[in-house]
Amino acid sequence: MSLEKKDEMDHKGWMKRKDLTPVEATFLTALVWMDKRLRIVDYLELMENLYYKVNMQMPKSHTEQYDLDNKFWYWYPLYALGSFSTLAYVVAAVSGALLGFYYAPAQAGDPSTAYNSITFIMTDLQFGFMLRSIHRWSAQVMVAAVFLHMLRVYFTGAYKEPRELNWLLGIVLISLTMVFGYTGYLLPWDQLAFWAGQIGVEMSLSIPLAGEWIAQLLFGGFTLSQATLQRMYILHVFLLPFVVTTLIAIHIGIVWVQGIAEPH
Amino acid sequence: MSETDTNTDGSEEARTDGGGPGIVAPDDETPTWRERKERTTGLSRLTYEYFERARREDQDLRTESDYVERDVLAFPTWPHETVRNLSIVAFFTGMIFFLAATMPPHIGAPANPSSTPAIILPDWYLYWSFGLLKLGPLNPDLAILGGQKLTADRTYGVLANVVVVGVIAIVPFLNKGSARRPVEQPFWSAVGVGGVVFALTISLLAVKNLMPMNVHLLFDLTFLLPIVATTITYAILKTMREGYMYDLNRRYYRLRPPK
Ligand code: HEM
Repeated sequence: MSLEKKDEMDHKGWMKRKDLTPVEATFLTALVWMDKRLRIVDYLELMENLYYKVNMQMPKSHTEQYDLDNKFWYWYPLYALGSFSTLAYVVAAVSGALLGFYYAPAQAGDPSTAYNSITFIMTDLQFGFMLRSIHRWSAQVMVAAVFLHMLRVYFTGAYKEPRELNWLLGIVLISLTMVFGYTGYLLPWDQLAFWAGQIGVEMSLSIPLAGEWIAQLLFGGFTLSQATLQRMYILHVFLLPFVVTTLIAIHIGIVWVQGIAEPH
Repeated sequence: MSETDTNTDGSEEARTDGGGPGIVAPDDETPTWRERKERTTGLSRLTYEYFERARREDQDLRTESDYVERDVLAFPTWPHETVRNLSIVAFFTGMIFFLAATMPPHIGAPANPSSTPAIILPDWYLYWSFGLLKLGPLNPDLAILGGQKLTADRTYGVLANVVVVGVIAIVPFLNKGSARRPVEQPFWSAVGVGGVVFALTISLLAVKNLMPMNVHLLFDLTFLLPIVATTITYAILKTMREGYMYDLNRRYYRLRPPK
């Protein structure tokens, strides 16, 4: 006789009685182990509830009810642009993380550590040239896809009630995508980067009232310096990734809840 | 914490065990969540009332509609849209790698603050913003200020950026209704086409020193072409509209005959 309880809560005994396959047994063991510690059952139920609320309690879609798929299948590629933006973003994130292993945002050195690390990546690093190329192209393609996605949403009237919030969120996203591009453009610290940075500083300075403050905050001063490069770097690899990833998740979450606006 | 009514004998004895009314009311008197919410006041009361209304509205819609209750009132995102998109998108991601392999970027000369290059440009997708900075000639000079400009040209350009983005942002609050297809809303589609053309022409204005044409002509075209495009689109859609809506309505009513 052992002192352990042998009642209904005896999960081990229950599992023995059920005569499970190894996969089922492993799954259940892991589930029980996690649940003992984290009470995930509650959260699972919450998610299940959400899932059924979202997917099961709404009226059937117009398209489904009248079987209209055959009427506008040729528009589908345009409806994939949002997903394409997401995927291009993921490609850029992965290639960017790999580039980050070799890049240093410093202006010391001759001509500068930043510039040298880019030339190192392009000339000495195995696969480096391709890596930079992938990063560059996925960024460009993402901006293009986001813009076309916006046009798709505009011309199919998909921004109308109840999707106004997602439109506004989209405006923020396309702006941040461009800021992403801009900050990345400055990182190689070549002539183009430097003078694009110069224009950025001047634009900030010409904002009424808050101009100088904004220039200080974003560019670390009124002339370009190490501080500028450092700030662009942190924006590009730390701040923006978190913010944009979160916003994309919310954006797509809202689409999931609301469904894709149908052309009628 | 609300009072409980079980303490009827009025005694003031100290209670040291579970005998008396504890914090938890007896089962039959525990207020339900609904009762608790009904008792609230102020904003939470309003919230409760609205939720009740919304729920009743949903329920009414469900009972009286002929819909089969199952999915969102749109294309379901999962699995329909997602599966379809993944296959299409896989192809385009291949395209990214193809582009990357065939047209790798190069790097220019290192930064040199003492030599301004002849051509300063951001990436192509910022040309529109860059072009808006060159609207100086449109910046009104006021007679009151003795021909002085109200704002510096640069400030004016930055403001133009804000205005453009702002206008796009409020579109959903200007264009309401249930029209989805461009032919159903000729005006808004025409505005859209005009906007796209303007994005293009203002980008060309940004690279005016690379354009092989008269700068003044370019400046005028920047604003004329969008207007022309808007007008043409409007005319075309307006013309198409009648026949198209006829077809659309016919199909629609065949599918869902009026009761
Ligand atoms: C980083 C940028 C963006 C990403 C990753 C993204 C992603 C997505 C995805 C995956 C969808 C699902 C439908 C589809 O693929 O077409 C969607 C829908 C939508 N997006 Fe975006 N989007 C972005 C930017 C924008 C922008 C710039 C706008 C508009 C200003 C916008 C407005 C909308 C709206 C209103 C919907 C709902 C459309 C419908 O229900 O048919 N999004 N987005």
